[in-house]
Amino acid sequence: MSNNTETSFFDPRLLIVVQNLTVQFTNDEGTNIAIKNVDFQLYKGQILGIVGESGSGKSVTSLTILQLLNIPPAEIKTGKIWFNSRLKGWIDLIKLNRNEIIDLRGKEISMIFQEPMTSLNPVYTCGNQVAEALMLHEKINWKEAKTRSLELFSKVKLPQPERIFDSYPHQISGGQKQRVMIAMAISCKPALIIADEPTTALDVTVQATILDLLESIRTELGTSILFITHDLGVIAEISEEVMVMYKGKIVEKGLTLDVLANPQHPYTRGLLACRPKLDFKLKVLPIVSDFMATDQDGNISERRNGPFSSVGEAIFMNLITVDEINQRNKELVQQEPVLKVKNLKTYFPIGKGLFRNAKHFVKAVDDVTFDIYPGETIGLVGESGCGKTTLGRTLIRLVEPSSGSILYNGRDISSYKSTELRQLRREMQIIFQDPYSSLNPRMTIGEAIMEPMRIHNMLGSEKERKDRVVELLETVNLNGEHFNRYPHEFSGGQRQRICIARALALNPKFLICDESVSALDVSVQAQVLNLINYLKEKFNFTCIFISHDLSVVKFMADRIIVMNKGVIEELGFSEDIYNNPQSQYTRNLISAIPKGTVEDIRKAHKRRMEVKKL
Amino acid sequence: MFSYIIQRLLYGSLVILGVLIVVFFIFHALPGDPVAMMAGQRSDVSTREAIAKDLGLDKSLGDQFLLYLNDVLPISIHQNTLENESKYEYQKLVTLGESVLVIKVPYLRRSFQNHKLVSSILYEHMSGTFWLALTAMIFATVLGITFGVIAALKQNSFTDHFLVTTSILGISAPSFVVAILMAVLFGFYWADYTGLNLTGQLWVTHPMEGRQLEIKNIILPAFTLGIRPLSIIVQLTRSSMLDVLSQDYIRTAKAKGLSTRTIIFKHALKNALNPVITAVSGWLASLMAGAFFVELIFNWKGLGLISIKAVENLDFPVVMGCTLFIALVFIVINILVDILYAVVDPRVKLNH
Repeated sequence: MSNNTETSFFDPRLLIVVQNLTVQFTNDEGTNIAIKNVDFQLYKGQILGIVGESGSGKSVTSLTILQLLNIPPAEIKTGKIWFNSRLKGWIDLIKLNRNEIIDLRGKEISMIFQEPMTSLNPVYTCGNQVAEALMLHEKINWKEAKTRSLELFSKVKLPQPERIFDSYPHQISGGQKQRVMIAMAISCKPALIIADEPTTALDVTVQATILDLLESIRTELGTSILFITHDLGVIAEISEEVMVMYKGKIVEKGLTLDVLANPQHPYTRGLLACRPKLDFKLKVLPIVSDFMATDQDGNISERRNGPFSSVGEAIFMNLITVDEINQRNKELVQQEPVLKVKNLKTYFPIGKGLFRNAKHFVKAVDDVTFDIYPGETIGLVGESGCGKTTLGRTLIRLVEPSSGSILYNGRDISSYKSTELRQLRREMQIIFQDPYSSLNPRMTIGEAIMEPMRIHNMLGSEKERKDRVVELLETVNLNGEHFNRYPHEFSGGQRQRICIARALALNPKFLICDESVSALDVSVQAQVLNLINYLKEKFNFTCIFISHDLSVVKFMADRIIVMNKGVIEELGFSEDIYNNPQSQYTRNLISAIPKGTVEDIRKAHKRRMEVKKL
Repeated sequence: MFSYIIQRLLYGSLVILGVLIVVFFIFHALPGDPVAMMAGQRSDVSTREAIAKDLGLDKSLGDQFLLYLNDVLPISIHQNTLENESKYEYQKLVTLGESVLVIKVPYLRRSFQNHKLVSSILYEHMSGTFWLALTAMIFATVLGITFGVIAALKQNSFTDHFLVTTSILGISAPSFVVAILMAVLFGFYWADYTGLNLTGQLWVTHPMEGRQLEIKNIILPAFTLGIRPLSIIVQLTRSSMLDVLSQDYIRTAKAKGLSTRTIIFKHALKNALNPVITAVSGWLASLMAGAFFVELIFNWKGLGLISIKAVENLDFPVVMGCTLFIALVFIVINILVDILYAVVDPRVKLNH
């Protein structure tokens, strides 16, 4: 096919040319166009970023390249994916039969997936899974494959390659698993790596190292990378070029610097504006619909009469000044604390022996002391496994503390009897991370919100409770008519609002948000954060906001607790923590966050140039 | 691993103690009098009293229980007499005056009916049940996993629907109905074509050739016994396989360029087997305990058959012996299965 007239005009430095690709899904409910008329090209050794939120079609695009979509329900309506194969010249990947595409997979094009936790087969060792690909494509025996795998493991900077080789996936950390995935992807020196949200499930510090690794692989092996993410900040770090996808279409394409510094499309502007900023504190986060209007046919138009005309304006019109922040902080700490936590420890026993005598403990929360003032929002931030979730749960005794005291309005809650504990839990509500699994799928949302009121015997009659539910639904910007619908009829953001409404049903004085926005898209996240802030002001509750994302916590919280390995690394006012971090751990955490500012892109670009010169 | 097994065996012995207590008292709450059954026509008081004394039935229920427990325990106290020594075949540990602390093989007493040692009755019938259960389970497992995988790979096709429907039929048909149907159809009406017998044993003693292995006699009972586990294994393998095939690591395997065959047999099947192992082990354990109906209908000499007969005859030592043996089989098989889990799935740890 290399002499094809269609491809003879292609620049030989190009690796992949996608032309007019349209993919649709058909199910019982009808046909749904996943991507429409997608065009892009990628040069050898280039990194191209695709940014978009869930449902934007970015993953569908990548899966189509390797024919990994299930056909049906998927169907490729139009388009060509030209790939400059090392052995066969230009070929259209869509037209390849099964054996031909299997031949390319892993050898010339490989993939890295989002979830390192589930993307490795749990019942085979990491070494086995990498060696398997090598033995298949390079036709070498087990011994050679093992040597090569160990080399790869050192190349992706895995500690103790020998040990990792014989480890099962559950025995190593998330970052290490993603390194194993990368080792697998580069094992046969492919021309193209498709990285589908490779760092989304990882901590920021780990994310930074993985991005470095991908960058160095590109420089060293000359591999092209198609980098898919929802995070504009990550794109700024890694790729020179970016395309923004929205509802199956490419809405903007260009150099990362141009797109981020001077976004042309209203969606890109909205996306940029709605990320919580680390360097300023805003009253309200701008949302995508401030910039963009969508009509009934799904056509996007710029909002002329929107509140803001540019990203910069959106930020500066919302700014809270330093004086305002200082004033609020001063007023907060003058009050008597509502919750006093003293020397709190929560240990989990491991390795129970024959007679249940635990010899070792996981110190999830290890000697933690802090106060919470009425009406304040305290942010709990740290990497996965730092004990922030356990701490949150210990505070309402969903997990029993091992020792220490939690004084709530002056009384130790560990001495509470079960009736008092119920009263406590009525006053302290918790909103969990995953809005998909924290609502019972067999209960209408009205019932779900009404249930806690019924349990705690609130309001006299069913009628009054129902009215209250409608009122609550309206408070969280849903509709009273939604009462009899089931959770699956709602989107992730709407479900999280339902969870918020449920938590508010009992008029709590205290709200614990445990990673409540982590599973949501950035634009939805902005809406939910604004909602929580609005409700906080309206109902004046105290809030503990737990998140791994420092920028979100900084937007929400008056004070921040940075946790690491069960202990408090640092505790202070948000601005102080960010501007003047005291501990090395906090400094690392802050520096690892991709901020997506123009300054950062320039730095990243400069770094890449220097590497190239070397 | 070793300490794990010890721990499980300790828990297991508690289970056996529980079984012993429950069966002992339920049995004694049953209507009927073993003495009357043994005495038969001769119902004069002195004979009856003699028999009752001989069997230890004249004592209070509590004493009877303690005596039985003492007989069963591997470490126990007995009166230091020569008679006891030959009865229990024990090894003396410590002599305590007239009594002696001993270690022995659990003594299950003798049958009320024929005065045979219960342990030798168990031993005699064990092999019949063992081979029957094993054959049935091998048949069910091999075919069940094969059909399950086929159904999962051809999801929503005719083959899939056919296999699922048939397996529902197999699960719902009661075993006594299936057993009778099988016996009558294949062992009687079509016996000329199949060459199978209505009833029969694995070992048959011919007048001329002596003891002979008759493998064909196991076909019908094993098939009958295997139908239900087969159906359940088909369904379990299918659903578990479908679940695994939608996992991320299968997508990884595809992206690696592996062939469909490798993906299914190496990456999917091993992950899909865990629930199947649970089902297989559960069934194997209960089949090892004797399949009452099937053994009765095919007149297969096994634990099920003697248990039923012993209950009919109020033969307490045999009932008790069978029950304890069955409990032991369950415990051992469960331990073996837990070890097997750890072999199949490295995430399973055997330390708590």
